[in-house]
Amino acid sequence: MTAPDVFTIEILRNYLLVGAALFSLGMLGFLTRRNLIVMFLSVEMMLQGVVLGLIAFGRYHGTWTGQIFTIVILTVAACEASIALALVVVLYQRKSSLDATVWSAVREADAPPIEPVEAEAEPAVAVPGPESYPRLIPAGHEPEHSRQATIERRT
Amino acid sequence: MMTKYSILAALIAALGGLGAYLMLPHKRKGTRAGLAYKAGAQAAVLALVLFAALLSPLADFVATTFFDLFAVAAVASALLMVTARDPVHSALWFASVVLSTGGLFLLAGASFLAAGTIIVYAGAIIVTFLFVIMLAQMEGRAVYDRAAHSPGPATVSCFVLLWCLLASIATLSTDTSGPIETREQQFRAETSFSRIESLVERFRLHKHSAMLTVIDQASPATNRIHGGEGAEKPQVAGIGGSLYTDHLITAGLSGVLLFVALVGAIVITNPRPRPQATGRGQAI
Repeated sequence: MTAPDVFTIEILRNYLLVGAALFSLGMLGFLTRRNLIVMFLSVEMMLQGVVLGLIAFGRYHGTWTGQIFTIVILTVAACEASIALALVVVLYQRKSSLDATVWSAVREADAPPIEPVEAEAEPAVAVPGPESYPRLIPAGHEPEHSRQATIERRT
Repeated sequence: MMTKYSILAALIAALGGLGAYLMLPHKRKGTRAGLAYKAGAQAAVLALVLFAALLSPLADFVATTFFDLFAVAAVASALLMVTARDPVHSALWFASVVLSTGGLFLLAGASFLAAGTIIVYAGAIIVTFLFVIMLAQMEGRAVYDRAAHSPGPATVSCFVLLWCLLASIATLSTDTSGPIETREQQFRAETSFSRIESLVERFRLHKHSAMLTVIDQASPATNRIHGGEGAEKPQVAGIGGSLYTDHLITAGLSGVLLFVALVGAIVITNPRPRPQATGRGQAI
């Protein structure tokens, strides 16, 4: 498929609008979601929004620079993915949770603490089908076992 | 025209913000969660329709249809990715976003990057899947996936940003033609007319596009998408030619960056063992 012969400013404008929407929605996901993996995906989506703008600008100006920048962004995204997923693994080993608010102790000394939000949540919707299992009546009593995180148990 | 776009952008931001706020998982318990999600979805669909109306039609009907299709699919998948309760669903919606943007890349004539992005992100998404299956699914449906972190202020700030971006981008236009009013404009017009003759002799001029003419002079031949005869260069040859001549240092630095990230990831995942508390060190 080839691009239109004249890449007018209207087309550039359309691309920038879509890129802006992707960027804002990615920012929304990064700010609101508490799952580390979903936060990481949101950042990738913000990058996608920027890349759309870069490619449209490159085509509008008739140069390769936009696409070269995109390749650089792909490189940076790969680096970010490797570091972020490594961090996710380490953080998960420490606390056995992907929740970002678990780490709210790591903050500025004078910042107000984020109130712990543990039990409060939307009710889980049971998915009909083979994934939802019947709730069994517990038989006997639960044996004592350690609920500590794996890394603490290991040492 | 400008006020029309500003109003449309404000409406999109308001409706989209309301829809996104209602669709996000909230802390409060209650049976009305499903109802709020449906109402939010309706508001978001309305915002999407208005967003599609904001996009200006292209010259070609088929191109317009495909562009609108990919654009709406990308934005809708983005919203669903952000609001999905299950991280696996989030990853799948992200794949949909990447596929849609790949289609938009194709429509902009960046076919190599469309293929490259899809291949790279397909790998990234498989890795993410692995992580989700390894870590998140062990605990079942987690509490933190069903409760957003301060959804109100975050939604407001993000959609105010969206409103600003949409309102400023939507009023873009190149139509700056107008009568000469000031002396400075007159002077500029005269000097440029006097230089036109030398320009015609030395450079290739583009009809109706002063910008393309300027870029033709300013950028080296390897960096231009169009070759000498005006035909488009082949994608891979063009990108490679530009990457390894004009942007050689960038290419080298990208390699360095990748290497540093590799070392960093290894250091992070394999923490240094703690110094042993035996007396061997003191004995020496």
